[in-house]
Amino acid sequence: MATSGQTISDEARGVGRISTRPVSRRRRRNLNNLAGYLFISPWLIGFFLFTFLPMLASLYFAFTDYSILSPPRWVGLANFEQMFFHDPRYWKSVQATFYYVFAAVPLRLAFALVVAMLLNNYRPGVGIYRAAYYAPSVIGGSVAVAVMWRQIFGTQGVVNALTGFLGIPPVTWLGDPKTAIWTLIILAVWQFGSPMLIFLAGLKQIPKELYEAASMDGAHGWSQFLHITIPMLTPVILFNLVMQMISGFMVFTQAFIVTGGAPLDTTLFYALYLYQRAFVNFQMGYASAMAWVLLIVVALFTALVFRSSSAWVHYETEGD
Amino acid sequence: MPGRNNRLAVLVISLILMFVATQCGGGGSSTAQAPSQAPASGSQASATQAPSGGQAASQASSGAPVELRLTWWGSQDRHDRTIKAIQLFQQKHPNIHITYEFSSFNDYLTKLSTQAAGGALPDVMQMDYAWIAEWSQRGLLVPLDDYTKNGTINVSDVDPSNLNGGVVDGKLVAINLGSNSQNWVLDADAFKKAGVDLPKDDWTWDDFEKISTALHGKLGNWAHGMAIADNQLWKSLYLSQGAWAFAKDGTQLGYTDDKPLVDWLNMILRLQKAGAVMPHQEELASYANASPEQSPTVTSKADMEYFWSNQITSFWKAAGDNRNFVEMPLPRPTGGKSANYIKPGQFFSISSQSKHPQEAAMFIDFFTNDVEANQILGAERGVPISNKVRDAIKPQMGKSQQAMFDYVARVSKDAQPVPPADPPGATDVINNVYKPLIDQVLFEQLPPDQAAKQLRDQANAILAKNKK
Repeated sequence: MATSGQTISDEARGVGRISTRPVSRRRRRNLNNLAGYLFISPWLIGFFLFTFLPMLASLYFAFTDYSILSPPRWVGLANFEQMFFHDPRYWKSVQATFYYVFAAVPLRLAFALVVAMLLNNYRPGVGIYRAAYYAPSVIGGSVAVAVMWRQIFGTQGVVNALTGFLGIPPVTWLGDPKTAIWTLIILAVWQFGSPMLIFLAGLKQIPKELYEAASMDGAHGWSQFLHITIPMLTPVILFNLVMQMISGFMVFTQAFIVTGGAPLDTTLFYALYLYQRAFVNFQMGYASAMAWVLLIVVALFTALVFRSSSAWVHYETEGD
Repeated sequence: MPGRNNRLAVLVISLILMFVATQCGGGGSSTAQAPSQAPASGSQASATQAPSGGQAASQASSGAPVELRLTWWGSQDRHDRTIKAIQLFQQKHPNIHITYEFSSFNDYLTKLSTQAAGGALPDVMQMDYAWIAEWSQRGLLVPLDDYTKNGTINVSDVDPSNLNGGVVDGKLVAINLGSNSQNWVLDADAFKKAGVDLPKDDWTWDDFEKISTALHGKLGNWAHGMAIADNQLWKSLYLSQGAWAFAKDGTQLGYTDDKPLVDWLNMILRLQKAGAVMPHQEELASYANASPEQSPTVTSKADMEYFWSNQITSFWKAAGDNRNFVEMPLPRPTGGKSANYIKPGQFFSISSQSKHPQEAAMFIDFFTNDVEANQILGAERGVPISNKVRDAIKPQMGKSQQAMFDYVARVSKDAQPVPPADPPGATDVINNVYKPLIDQVLFEQLPPDQAAKQLRDQANAILAKNKK
C-alpha cells in the first residue's frame, strides 16, 4: 500500500516539474478531470436520475402514507410498525423468501459446480455444450419461460404426464403448499449458467501440478475434489455465493407469473409482496418502507458472508 | 510482502462486491420506486392542467384535426368490438383520430394511476364503479352535466336510474356503459343429462348444495367451477339481509352476525370434501387468473360458474353456440331477500387532463346512442342504458345477449339498491385479509368460525383508519 502510494506521488511530482506555472498545472488537472467526468457522464446521469434520486425519494416515502393519487402524508415510523407487528402476510413473505434463498442458492451453486466440472475436461464439441448449458440463464428470468413453467407443472402438464407413466397419480404441483415453492426452486436451479461459467474459469486456474502431486501421494477422485478443488475454488465460491444470494433475495418474475404468491402465501416472495402493496393496493409508502428493509437485510447478509469468509476462503498465495 | 498484497486484493474485491451488492439492492428498491417517483411532479401537473382542460371545453368542435386517446380493460372479444366501433366513429368524424390502449383488468388500474400521477391520462377512460368517487374527489374527472344539458351527450332516452351510479357529490362524472348484475350460469344441457331440475330465481344456498351434490353424483364432474368463495359473494351474502360487507361510513364491517358467512363457508367445505366442486388447490394450479372464456364449464369439466351477467357473451362464445346456458340470480341465505343489485358495469369518464373534452363527450354520446355502434358492441359491456338502443338492437342479438337482456330485466324486479362504492382500505381488506383467510379455510387449515372472527378483527383495524 505504502509503496504504491509512493509511486503515484512521485509521478505527480514529475508532472509538476515539467509544467512551468502552478496555475496551468491546476487548469490542466481540472481539464483532465472534466474529460473524465464527461466520459462517464452517461452512466452518471443515469445513476443520479434513475437510481440515486428515486432511492432518496423512496427513503422519504417510506415514512409517509402515499397512494399516488393523493400527496404523501408523513406518518413517521407507522409503516415499519405495521410491517413488523400487525402484518401476518409480511412475515409469510419473509419466510417464503428465506426458504427460497436457503434452498435455491446452494442447490444452484452445487449444480453449477457439477456441470462446470463436467465441462472442464476437453471433449469434442464442448463449446456447444457450454453455450447450451448457459442458455437457460439468458432466458430463464423471462416471462415466456415462466409461462412455460406453469404449463409444465400444471395439472395437465408434462411432469404429471411423465409420472403418470410410472403409475403415480397426478399432483397439483402449483396448488399444493408443499410443492409450489419447489417448482420455483427448480426453475432457479435450472438457471445455473452464470455461476457455472465463473466456476469454469475458476477451475481452469487451478494448477495441474497440485492434482499430479496428489495422485503421487495416492489421493484420487473424491479426496482430490475435497482437498484440492474445493479449497482452490473458495474465492470463486464466495463471489458466486454473494451474487446469487443477492439475486435470490430479489426474486420476483417467476413467482409473479408462475404462482402469484399462492398457495397460502408459500411463494409470496418479498419483492412480489412489495409489488402487490405498491401496485395492487397503491400503498407506495408501505412498499418503500419494505424496500428499505430488504436493502438493509441484503447488506447485512452480504456483510455476514464476508465476515465468515476469512474462516473458509483460501487464497492460493497466502502463507507462501 | 505477498501476504500483504493478498490482503489488499481481498479488500479491493470486497469493496467491488459491496458496491455491486448495494447497487443491486438499490435496484430492488427502485423497482418499487421508479413509477412512484413520478407523482412528485405529476400531481402538480394535473393540478395546473385541470383548469386549462375546462377552458378547452368551451371551444366548440371544429373541423381542425383532433387526436383523442381512449383506454379500456376487457376480454379479447371486447377489444375487437371496441376497435370496430372506434373505426365507425372515425368514419363519421374524419377530423377526429382516436388512439387506444387496452389491457386486462388486473393491469388496468396500475397503468391508469401511474398515468394520472404523470399527468398523462387518456381523454376517455373506462372506469369502474369502485374508483369514480375517489377519482372525482381528486379532481381527475370532468363533470359531464354541461354536456348532457347542451345535448352533446344525449341522455333523453336513458332512465335516470341508469345514470345515478355515475353521480358523485351531485355531479355526473361518468356515463354507464351497460347495466350488469352478478349471476350464476348453469349448463342447462348438463342439468337435463343429470335429470336435475333447474332451480327457481329465489333459490337458496341449501338448494345450491343439494343441486351440486346431485349433479356431481350423476355426472361425476365438478358441479361448480371457479371463484366459489369470491369476495364479491361475501359482500352480496349480507345484501339479502339488508346489510353490506362495509358499514355506510366505511369505518368498520357492515354486519354484526358472522353466522351467514360461517354457514356459507362450511357448505363450500362440505362440497369441496365431497369432490362436488373444483378443489381450491386445483383452481390455484390450473385456473389462476383464468377469464370466463377459460373456465372449466366451457369444456364441460364443470356445470356451473359465477360471473357478472355481461360476461356471459364472451363465455358463451367460447363454449359454442350449440350449448344452452341459463342465467340465475345469486343463491340467497335461507329466508333472505334477493342478493342481487344492478350495477353500472363500466363507465366512460373524461379526464380533467384532457385537452379535447368536447370531442371526448361526442365519443361518449356515440357510444351511448349510436345504434350501429351498439350493434357492433353487441351489449358485451352489459345491457345498453338507452331504451332506444336497447329496443333497436335486441332482435338482432344472439342467444347469449338475449339471455342477458332477459336476465337483467328479470333480476331488476326485486334487486337491491346499488350499495355504496367501496370505502378507502377496501382493497387492503380484500387482498390482505379476506383472500389469505379464505385460502386457509379452503385448505382446511382454519375453521370457518375462526376465519370469520379474524376477518372481522383485521378488517375493522384497517377500516378504523377512515374515522375522522
